[in-house]
Amino acid sequence: MDVTEEQELIMALQSETDKEAAFRELVSQYKERLYWQIRNMVLDHEDADDVLQNTFIKVFRNINSFKGESKLHTWMYRIAANESITFLNQKAKRNNVSIDNMKDDAVRKLESDVYFEGDQVQLQFQKAIATLPERQRLIFTMKYFGDHTFEELSAILETSVGGLKSSYHIAVKKITQFIKSQNETIH
Amino acid sequence: MKKDSKTSGLKIPKNYFNDFEAQLFARIEAEKFPKSTGFSVPEDYFSKFDDTITLKERVKVISLFPKKYTAHAAAIAAILIVGAMFFSTSQQTASLDSIQISLIEKYIDEGNLNMDLFDLTTYLEPEDFTNIDIGSRYFTETTLENYLLENTDEELLLDD
Repeated sequence: MDVTEEQELIMALQSETDKEAAFRELVSQYKERLYWQIRNMVLDHEDADDVLQNTFIKVFRNINSFKGESKLHTWMYRIAANESITFLNQKAKRNNVSIDNMKDDAVRKLESDVYFEGDQVQLQFQKAIATLPERQRLIFTMKYFGDHTFEELSAILETSVGGLKSSYHIAVKKITQFIKSQNETIH
Repeated sequence: MKKDSKTSGLKIPKNYFNDFEAQLFARIEAEKFPKSTGFSVPEDYFSKFDDTITLKERVKVISLFPKKYTAHAAAIAAILIVGAMFFSTSQQTASLDSIQISLIEKYIDEGNLNMDLFDLTTYLEPEDFTNIDIGSRYFTETTLENYLLENTDEELLLDD
């Protein structure tokens, strides 16, 4: 979407008459991208569905106060990222467990999840990602699976490119070490 | 089933994104509902509510029937009930024949017989209908015609 198209879409979203049609267009364009960003964080499909709905509801409610200081999709990715982390924290609190225990549990569930068709390598990869702290996990999954550039991530997560690069490299190192240690235990 | 572009191994249910839009827009519709219920409470109601409760707690409720007499009262009542049952069995039991017809009619007229026409007909045999003496004492032929025209479901008659 170029700058003019985005401007037109924002205007339509903020007008009373065209709001709903424009919102349908927005949902249609971004639902899949946002879904995968969320799913890679929460892992469970039903949870991802909840968070995706909450994300779009938040966009719908707050579109009139969107000032255009960042790009529309950047703003939406940011809402999805915040909603994912908020959801995970609330879920841990609700179940009275630590966020680390909940992540371990979510990865364990993947082994029997009908919506996970990964092999042992992919499962081990998910286990390794789950060991990362929330923010690092968000940066890693958005960069690795979402194919965002560091510049885009910088705008979405409101963090410097340098900081993001260093977080990403630390994450890669941790994942490599985890997989290596797991393989050593097996052999 | 669509998979993520990289090898996460995660997948989604079939038609998920179509179903997602339907669910999301149902929630969007609900966003348009009024946010307030429209109910209001008197001014300072909640700030005064605690005081009302405290006041009620202070006022001791004195029972009309102290607990120490309850057991005695129950015993006396039981004796009276058993006695009444004993004496009533010695009396002759009422039969349908001993009740005046006018009393039964009054009972039915006042709507105390909880039965509609369909319920009543289940108690009657075909010959009971022929034995009913309709005669001309209660209504004329014209009245009967008018009644049927006004109260009969013509479609039902045609169907049958």
